[in-house]
Amino acid sequence: MSSDSPVLAVRAVSKKYRMVAPGSELKTLLLHPGAALHARRQRSNLWAVGDVSFEVGRGEFFSIIGANGSGKSTLLRLLAGLSRPTSGRIETNARMSTLLELGSGFHPQVSGRENAIMNGLLVGMSRAEIEGLLPRIVEFAGLQEFIDQPMRTYSSGMYVRLGFAIAAFMEPELLLVDEVLAVGDLRFQEKCYDHIAGLQKQGVTIVMVSHDLGAVERFSDRAALMERGRMIAIGDPKKVVGLHVERLASSSPEIRAALEEHIAGDQEGMDRLLAEDPEARAAFEAALELNPDFHRKLQEEAARGSERLG
Amino acid sequence: MNAASAHFRAPGARGFRKSSELLAALTSRELRLRYQGSLFGWAWSLVRPLALGLILSFALGKVLGTGITAEFLLAGLFPWFWFQSSVQAATGTFVGNGGLLKKVKFPRQVLPLSVVLGNTLQFLFALPVLGGFLLWHGHEPTRAWLALPLIFAMQFLLITGLAFFVASVTVFFRDLEHIVEVLLNLVFYATPIIYAADKVPDNYRWVIRLNPLAPLADGWRRILLDGEWPGSDLWFSGALTAVVLLVGWFTFRRLEDAFADVI
Repeated sequence: MSSDSPVLAVRAVSKKYRMVAPGSELKTLLLHPGAALHARRQRSNLWAVGDVSFEVGRGEFFSIIGANGSGKSTLLRLLAGLSRPTSGRIETNARMSTLLELGSGFHPQVSGRENAIMNGLLVGMSRAEIEGLLPRIVEFAGLQEFIDQPMRTYSSGMYVRLGFAIAAFMEPELLLVDEVLAVGDLRFQEKCYDHIAGLQKQGVTIVMVSHDLGAVERFSDRAALMERGRMIAIGDPKKVVGLHVERLASSSPEIRAALEEHIAGDQEGMDRLLAEDPEARAAFEAALELNPDFHRKLQEEAARGSERLG
Repeated sequence: MNAASAHFRAPGARGFRKSSELLAALTSRELRLRYQGSLFGWAWSLVRPLALGLILSFALGKVLGTGITAEFLLAGLFPWFWFQSSVQAATGTFVGNGGLLKKVKFPRQVLPLSVVLGNTLQFLFALPVLGGFLLWHGHEPTRAWLALPLIFAMQFLLITGLAFFVASVTVFFRDLEHIVEVLLNLVFYATPIIYAADKVPDNYRWVIRLNPLAPLADGWRRILLDGEWPGSDLWFSGALTAVVLLVGWFTFRRLEDAFADVI
């Protein structure tokens, strides 16, 4: 493969889910066939991913952002080969490692060591390979004295650390990362990002789905924004994150109101508005920290508003 | 699909070795977890056939006076429980591992296979106990025992085919788990386990003929108790087993890509 051909090419990929219509279950079909057939005809399709195309080059750090339900995790599942696109093609020859919800394969009754070996076998390593890597994995995860304890005794942070360490040491050519780093403590998060950055330097291609807009800006070479299954922007991470924040704020009255409270200096009111929705909070904080333009714009708007009121 | 996990795409022997290492690890974990923390562990797998065999030999043999003996029942019950517990446990293997199927790309066939293998090993560990019981009752090994690997392999393939079918279809039709439970109860009586195959009246023979397990159950007994080779109807059962295996495997192949979407 020449160095300029993409490691991953996504061509017009779509994924359709059929919505379950109430009253179309088999039970109704048996008892009231007419009603059930009618319901079946009425059921709608949901295009979780619609006509998405992009390419990722070797050694590139590519991030996908978007609100909950925008289809970014579905897209990552399609990339990982866990689910098949309804139409379109995904082309890659890279050895892939996925960081999809770390530790999903762990069994609480067996030791960390055995889980690590099982996890390695599941993602396609041989027993010899994973046993060779195990000391480094254990050290990275900082689990030296716990590795032979059953995993039910682990904290959730320990789960994540072991899961990340396994995936990160697999020496992939293409690493898919989903939302996972939000779980660990901050120091470990930093360690993970450092490790990912190191992998990138070695030529590993990284595709990440994340709500952590700060990290997206800091690490990505390019970012893409998903909205209702479509990829509506792709390019410079700063611009894409800015667009995302702007669109979120204009679509969500909570965020807008919280921003206004913030400008009015009412910390309590702002916290109350954002308490329920961590995603809104992340977008809000990103809006404040990363996009002074946006901040200023809102202040101006607020000023205009108060002028009108006054 | 190009995006398949590259590690398992490794061609031929290497990919196969990795899959078999995974299968071995899953099987051994399954066996260890099953009896973890229980005092008698593996011995419990003997209790079910032994207890049922002894109580039935009392009820049928002594109370009803049919002359059915404990060794007659046990030679039928041990292979039966191998069949029954494998198929029943296989139904839930994909549904029960939904989290894994949604998150990790791996050869999905290892899930039902590990359950079948676990139960098969358990059966093999139990065989010496059955053998000891038979020796104690004066059934010496004969040359017919050479046929044991044949019916063992046939029953293993039959179980494997059924396991793939029920595990895959249960993902889309959860009621199957309960249907299988009921069907297994019926199959128990439609198989010559608590009666001899040749006692079945002629006009009901077709039930036995259509049941691929029947010649196997009859075969175990002929070999172990009578020192005879299995009957000729074994070949028909072999053909049915091949059909079950193919249907099971292709059903799995056809459905597996949608598992992650449905679970």
